[in-house]
Order: sequence, then structure tokens, then C-alpha cells
Amino acid sequence: MIHKGSETDLVLKPDVCIVGSGPGGAMVASRLARAGAKVVVLEEGGYHQKDAFDMQESTAFPRLYQDRGNRATADLSISVLQGRAVGGGTVVNWTTSYRTPDDVLANWRANFGVPLTPEILSPHFEEVERRLGIQKVEVEDTNANNRAIYDGCKKLGWQVDTTRRNVRGCLRTGYCGMGCPVDAKQSAALTYLPDAVAAGAEVYANCRVQKIEWSGRRATAALAQVLDTESLKETGRTVRVEPRLLVISGGALNSPALLLRSGIPGPMIGKHTWLHPVVAVGAYYQDPVEGFYGAPQSVASHHFAHRSEGAGFFIEAAPVHPMLASIAMPGFGGPLRTKMGLLSNVAATISLMIDGFDPSERGGTVTLRPDGGPKLDYPFGDRAYECFRAGIKAMAQLHLANGAREVVSFHTEPIHITKQADLARIDAAPMGPNLVGVFTAHQMGGCRMGKDPARSVVNERLQIHDFDNLFVIDGSVFPTSLGVNPMESIYGLASWASDHVSKALS
Amino acid sequence: MRRVESRRGLIKKTLAGAALLAVAGAVPIALRKTKLRPPQRALRFFTAAEYSIWAAVADRVLAQEATAATREPENDFAEAALQAAKRPRAPTAAQVGVAEKADAFLAPLPRSDAKDLKALLALFDNALFSLVSGGPARPFTQMDPDEQDAHLRAWQTSRLAIKRTGFQAMKRLCCAIYFGAPETYASVGYPGPPTELVKSVLESRR
Repeated sequence: MIHKGSETDLVLKPDVCIVGSGPGGAMVASRLARAGAKVVVLEEGGYHQKDAFDMQESTAFPRLYQDRGNRATADLSISVLQGRAVGGGTVVNWTTSYRTPDDVLANWRANFGVPLTPEILSPHFEEVERRLGIQKVEVEDTNANNRAIYDGCKKLGWQVDTTRRNVRGCLRTGYCGMGCPVDAKQSAALTYLPDAVAAGAEVYANCRVQKIEWSGRRATAALAQVLDTESLKETGRTVRVEPRLLVISGGALNSPALLLRSGIPGPMIGKHTWLHPVVAVGAYYQDPVEGFYGAPQSVASHHFAHRSEGAGFFIEAAPVHPMLASIAMPGFGGPLRTKMGLLSNVAATISLMIDGFDPSERGGTVTLRPDGGPKLDYPFGDRAYECFRAGIKAMAQLHLANGAREVVSFHTEPIHITKQADLARIDAAPMGPNLVGVFTAHQMGGCRMGKDPARSVVNERLQIHDFDNLFVIDGSVFPTSLGVNPMESIYGLASWASDHVSKALS
Repeated sequence: MRRVESRRGLIKKTLAGAALLAVAGAVPIALRKTKLRPPQRALRFFTAAEYSIWAAVADRVLAQEATAATREPENDFAEAALQAAKRPRAPTAAQVGVAEKADAFLAPLPRSDAKDLKALLALFDNALFSLVSGGPARPFTQMDPDEQDAHLRAWQTSRLAIKRTGFQAMKRLCCAIYFGAPETYASVGYPGPPTELVKSVLESRR
């Protein structure tokens, strides 16, 4: 059963407690419950179903995203889009589904002693793809916002392809980011969590875990505050879970924050957070693009994923709804109005930096805010700025090749590009925190896995070093970023890790 | 427990403005007051002065016309002007109630973040800080629109990272509230979500 919080204080004693119900937590809950374990899932977010998804940004962001849609790095230089609901980020993501690239797994094996190979993960991915209905998009089914990338890349001879999406019966309304109103998106809330519940798991929504209690090598309890479903304030009621085994699946920012709040020892907790930092451009076309309708993300180019000049990046589309667009677009007053007035004619394209593969990179760091929530810092260096410039140039090039009238960068002082010669001006534009718009929708790392306790938080079975019954299973365990959208990787990894949890349980 | 550094700490450490604020009471310029405007409903987060500062910021962030300080000279987007002329005139920030909605949105903010934001607003409207930053010796709320846009732009592009952060905090919330309001959709040519399509499909599946 999925409970919307609790009307009384509760003490529960299941076999397994899972903190978080995103792709990692939902998968583990499903696998363990179906194997006969008594499972309790605690989820900070609310339980929302299709009737509640009204396709309005003003409803969706406060309700379905972390910090009511305002999560960011401490200096606000990176806006952080991160889901917060039963089903986690899978309720609001844009459905793009990739297996973990082979070269990423090779890097993890070589540098972190992680025993993952494409062959080991393949059966897990196959099962996930069946359960979630993951299928490749036909070019003809892409909207103009995505098609511009496809056609522009083709004209330049760059690698480009349609993506795979986890949908069944998709209407392509364009509102994946606000919760699918017709249950086409196969989120965890519609798949693995119901599977778990059917096998006896109990899911408690609106329960924020404040602390893990532990003694010696064992986690002994998870203590959660029950939140009011509307105000999100603490009600004063608590849910205390005393399991035999505890799995933390709160995502790349909340999981390390929970470990820090709980005083779990480990020098690497919260270190090496990877974000696929995003820079964007708006490309203005004579004909309407209407990027607010249609599957929001259905084309990607990995042409620049492996660059000798610096960090790689990949290119995708972002949906164009007015609230998100106005926050992302540079400027204010009249010029912002002018850009917003062309909302129907703009293609929004993003370049995602593939971070974490160069020894010089430290990535982000999660510490604690005064209220105990995660405080994220992610200082940029020259490698990031070089990548941002290269990404902006590439996006401008493909849109000029495709016939855009003008491409506008998201610098504080935006660069207007109408011809090839303008590209050089991107090199001269100032770069720094809040001098260029940077975003992230892919949070990874912070509890990275590896054999060496001095360099990692969890071991190669995703068990926290020096603990017997405490696991972390979510995107926070990735030692690097992925170079692809992370959802399917988290599901696959969690499926594989479930075997280790089962063994530890028995 | 790891050491935690709040943004308030950063403001104090990063800005010479902290020292300026400390002596503000002794300097006549710093005593120039926020120009107050009445809220449309009882406030839950802002003081009357903070509400007035936020409302004044929203007016300029969501202004209809460019001023000398905000104009982007490279392109006049002629098509946009033509399209916009056919659309209903955009409501003002006050008509959408941006400051009142910001007050409600910010009410549950954690105490430490609330302190930071309130300190930011005080600094933003401080006449002495404006003067030493090269602006007019008036609070933001008493400047004319050209001066206000120049003040906002100075924060937006400042060499001090904390001022750029402050600008983004104000701009993003003003924009999110305004452009997330359905009554503004027509003014940007957004038809809104396809509610009828969704409704008919859901009914057909029942």
C-alpha cells in the first residue's frame, strides 16, 4: 500500500527499509519484496497521480521538484532540477533512456575497481527496457524543437540520432516535466513501486528521513518526520523504522546529506558530485517551433562526447514552457519581454558537459545547510568554461546550418549570433558564476563506489565501507558522470545491486 | 559535524557593504528610507519595506519596454514586435500580484535563508551602498526607472559574485511567478496546455 504520510506516530520493524522511491529505491523495493522480504519505503515527496498533473508549471514545480523548484548551488550559479515525489525523478524527467556506455564502465573498472561490465549489466537493462516499454523514437515523431538538432547535425555531418523513451501510448503533449497526465510515461510510480506494493511492500509518502541511527557496523533505525501534504511543514508525527537492513536511495544530493546528518563516518561523503552541467542557447526561426508541445527530448548528438581539446559534451533539446524559459533566458525588462514574445519561434538546445573524467576535476561538494538540507557547491574551472564555450559554438553552428535566423547565448550579456563570424565572440564573452546560465537535471556522485575506502563511500557491492547492513543504491554511487541521461543506468545498477542486498539480508 | 557557512556569512565576509551597513545609522544618506507601497493583502514573510522593494524590483524585471540600461542593440526582433502587437497587452507585475505571491512563496523558507534574503533586500535598497557603488544616493525604491534598470544591471554584471547571486535570486522568482501565471500566457503567444485533448483521451480510455 502507498500511504500519504501517517496520522499517528509509527514504529515499524520490516526486513528492509528503503529511503527514497526514485529509480534506485523503487527497483530495490520491487526486487526484494518479490523475493519475500518485508519492505518499507520512506519517501519525502508526495504521492501524486495523473489527475493531479494539470500541466501548469506553477503547480508542478512547487509540488514535484526539490526545494519547490528552486534548488540550486549555494551561489545560485547552477539551477538544479531534481524531482521530489513518490517515484522520484522518474515522475518529472523527460523520458530519455540510455544504457551505461561501455567506455564509462571500463573507466570505473580501471580506476575504481568496480566489477561492472556490459555483459553483467545487459540482462538487467533488458528487463528494465521490457518493464518500462523503452523504445526508440522515429524521426518523424520528433517535434520541431528536436528536429532542428537532427537536421542541423545531419547538414554538418555530425553524429546524431533519435533517443529511446520509456512511454506507452504517448500523446506527445510535451508535459513530461510536469507529470504525465495520461500515464503514458512509465515512471517508477507506475511500474516498480506498484510491483513492490503488490508483493507486500509498504510505501510511506510525505516522510522525510532526518537521521539514520547506527551502532558499530550496523544501521539500527531510520527516523522520519511526517510532512503536511500541502504545506510540506513537519506535522510533529514521526515514523521510526527499525529494519534488519537499510538502503539509502535519496539521490545524489539527498543521500550524502542524510549520511552527513547521521554522522556516518567517511572522508568522501558528499565529494565528487557530478552534474552534467548544462549551457543553453535559444535559436530563433522564422517558422513556429512550438517547443512547448511534442515529446520534449527525442534527439541527441554525441558527436563531441570524446574531445581531445577538453571535456566532452552532448547535445539535446529542452522543452520551451514560459516559466522555465523566462528563468533560463538572460536579461530582464524589455529585452526579456522581447525574447519571451518569440517563445513560439525559439528552439531551446542544451549542451551537457561530461564531467568527472579528468584527474583535475573535483566536481561538486555536498555539505549541510543550517536547516540540515543539502548545500551544494560546484566551482567551475577552465576545463568547464572551455567546454561551455565549445558547446555554445556547436549549438550555434548546427542551428545556423539549419537556417535559424539568430542564435542567442544565455550569457548575462547575451551574444547574438547570425553568421559564422559571430562565433568568435563567444570566446571573448566573460565566464564566471552567474555570468552565464548553467543548469543541471542529472545529479550523480557524492557517495561514489569503489574498492578503496579512502577514495569511495560504498564498496563494489554498494555497501557503505565498514557497515554490514547499510547500502546506498542510486545515482550518487556513480564514480563519474555518464555522458548519457542517467535514469536507465540507475535502474540497471539497482537491479544488479539487489542481488547483493538479498545476499546480505540472508 | 562539518563546518557550515551560511550565505549570510558570505555576505558579511565578501562585501565591504557589511561595514557600510554597520555605520549606516550615522550617515544621513543611509537614512533615506524605502518608498513604501501598500500590499494587497496581509504579509507573511516580508516587512512593509521589504515588500515595497520586491514590488519595485518586479516592476523593472517585468517592465514592458527597454531602457538605455537594458537595451540589447544588436537585434530589434521586428517579428516579435509585430506578433506582440496583435496580442493582448501583457498584465503588469502588480496586476499579477508578483510581490504578494513572492511573499506567500517565501513564507516557509528556512530561517537562515530568510535572513540572507532580507539582508540582501536591505543592501539592495541602501542609498549609501548605491552611492559607493557609483549609483545615485537614493534607495532603489526612490530611483526613476532608468536609474533602477541601471542599478539592477550593475548587480547583474557586478564583479562581486554575491551581487550577481542576489540579482539572480530576485529575477528568477519574479519571472517564475509572473510567467507561470496563466493570465500572462497570451502575451507571449503560449496557447497553454492541451487540457481538452487530455480530457477526451482519458474519457475514451474509461
